[in-house]
Amino acid sequence: MGIIQNLEYLSQLVAVPGYEKAAAEKCAGLFKDWCDQVRVDKFFNVVCTRKGTGKAAKKLMITAHIDEIGFLVNSIDEKGFAGLTNVGGIDSKILLAQEVIIHGKQDVLGIIGATPPHLLKAEDAGKAVKLRDIRVDTGYDGQELKKYVSVGDTVSLKSKFNKMNEQKASGKSLDNRASIACLLEILRLLAAVNHENDLIFIASAQEETHLTGVMTAAYELRPDAAIVIDTCHGDIPELPKEVSSTPGKGPEISIGPNLHPKLVAKFFELGKENGIPYQKMVEAGDTGTEAWATQVSANGIPTALLSIPIRYMHTAVETVNIEDIKHTARMVSEFAKLSSEQLGELLCL
Amino acid sequence: MQDTLKLVTQVFGVSGNEEDIREVIFNEIKKYVDETRVDAMGNLIAVKKGRKKKIMLAAHMDEIGIIATFIDEDGFIRFSNIGGVSPFTSLGQRVRFRNGITGTISAEEKLEDFKGLKLGKLFIDIGCKNREEAEKLVKVGDTANFVGEFYVQGSSAVSKAMDDRSGCAVLIELIRNMPKTENEIYFVFTTQEEVGLRGAKTAAFGIMPDCAIAIDVTLTGDTPECGKREVKLGGGPAIKVKDNAYIAHPAIRRYLEELAAENGIPYTLELLDRGGSDPGAIQTTGIGVPCGGISIPCRGVHSPAEMVSLEDLEYCVKLTSLFIKNYKG
Repeated sequence: MGIIQNLEYLSQLVAVPGYEKAAAEKCAGLFKDWCDQVRVDKFFNVVCTRKGTGKAAKKLMITAHIDEIGFLVNSIDEKGFAGLTNVGGIDSKILLAQEVIIHGKQDVLGIIGATPPHLLKAEDAGKAVKLRDIRVDTGYDGQELKKYVSVGDTVSLKSKFNKMNEQKASGKSLDNRASIACLLEILRLLAAVNHENDLIFIASAQEETHLTGVMTAAYELRPDAAIVIDTCHGDIPELPKEVSSTPGKGPEISIGPNLHPKLVAKFFELGKENGIPYQKMVEAGDTGTEAWATQVSANGIPTALLSIPIRYMHTAVETVNIEDIKHTARMVSEFAKLSSEQLGELLCL
Repeated sequence: MQDTLKLVTQVFGVSGNEEDIREVIFNEIKKYVDETRVDAMGNLIAVKKGRKKKIMLAAHMDEIGIIATFIDEDGFIRFSNIGGVSPFTSLGQRVRFRNGITGTISAEEKLEDFKGLKLGKLFIDIGCKNREEAEKLVKVGDTANFVGEFYVQGSSAVSKAMDDRSGCAVLIELIRNMPKTENEIYFVFTTQEEVGLRGAKTAAFGIMPDCAIAIDVTLTGDTPECGKREVKLGGGPAIKVKDNAYIAHPAIRRYLEELAAENGIPYTLELLDRGGSDPGAIQTTGIGVPCGGISIPCRGVHSPAEMVSLEDLEYCVKLTSLFIKNYKG
């Protein structure tokens, strides 16, 4: 399958934080053709290893989180309306007139409606509604709904994957399935490569809540270095330049105390040598990504962060430029080809 | 249960100063367990040996309180919070320092309305004439708990520090009535939960259990104009789905639901939108620990009059007991 087919398949998987099991197993199915070993661990991280050929092989961990922002049902009333609590950062104003799927004993389609404009008080028109006031209409009454749905069930945004043109696609969960599609592309690029270092690819769980998946996986695996692939903010008219990057111009490579300076410099070098475009982003502190947890796991792990620009992050219409997935994959695969000696030299300051 | 609850709720034990409560709990449990130890963070860890799964049960023994920050020349004490302390519930309360000195909390008279009420506008009066006299009784850095007497009315019990001494009482009752099991059980009375789940983190690292369950209080959805929550006083244990610090492992959450349903234990599911609990730290320790929570419905959390149901506590003991007896991983 090509990148866009993979992305379509991946974006339709459901992985609400803490409940990634089914998606993880499907993702493991995609990885298994490219790896020596694939397993799903107790937190539903997909851990996939490719042994290196080197005698003094170092361990390089490459992670992209598989989970997506979502909800849990927190109440069901007699009329069959379900209330929600969020898992991961969601702005409630994107929820009006949106379709969701409640994953109960069976999947139930839910509609988040909106008060008709005719009946809105003038002072309420144009205003967002708080999540605690939002109700999901399932078409069932309360008694019927409780047969299929319980408090605590997961809820995901429903959104069709759209190919906008040859380069661009839009849909749900491109944060961070674009990066999982990137992992698959890296594996494809490395298929016939004899790399010296051991490569560990992780589709990690629970990034959107507390970085739980990568925190525990990194501790267990103790890699010598880590590359985190995530998404960042693509430029949109209302965003200032210093917090956004341009889709189509390659991965955003972060610079700052969260990232290891030598790894970062190596990526710039690889980009120039191989004609791979990239963009720079300065992060003064917490990058808000798995790099933050990975860097201080166990004895400390030198970490780099590459981000694929997407627009409208944490909505059901995230958009991505496929070229950026390709550029990111080329960049990381070049890094993965470094000899153990070359990688070793990068790890000391 | 009632006697244990009364004993443990009334003892002093503000986060970071858990010496007294640790001593009291130690004396209650020492003859029933195989081994006890206190780690560097002051956690009390009691072990019932076994050959199979290592299960960590955590209840925090620290409580919220205040810490004296400045004593003025007239002998009034300014203070800061230890844990989540609201200026609104503090006003007019009594606080008691570890040495028994009791003070009352008042607000500056200039304060015009409640909106402007902040901890910085409050002071503790211990009835001294000046700084010199006050400093003989209380020193900057001393901590105090809120005073809230224990009483039982019907099946409800009210006291200060139900959060989380009621959880401690559940573990103590369980230790005294241990089911037969081949699992190895670590009863951990953790420290510094209220200031950021600090004790549980190191306790879990030292034990590296196969799974962990926290017994802690949770907010209810049954008081006037409160948030929508299924949890209610007298509704049985609340099985944790999530709080602000972690998401319960689905396998553990479902197993607890099954055990409750099979054994006729009433329960609700808990989705807490404010506040966290110890598994938030335990879950991400080392290689990671699947965690869950058996929560005690509690009204008036973080006030000097926290209310729990004695029946809920009995059910919590029963459910925890079933879990440690039957858990196979």
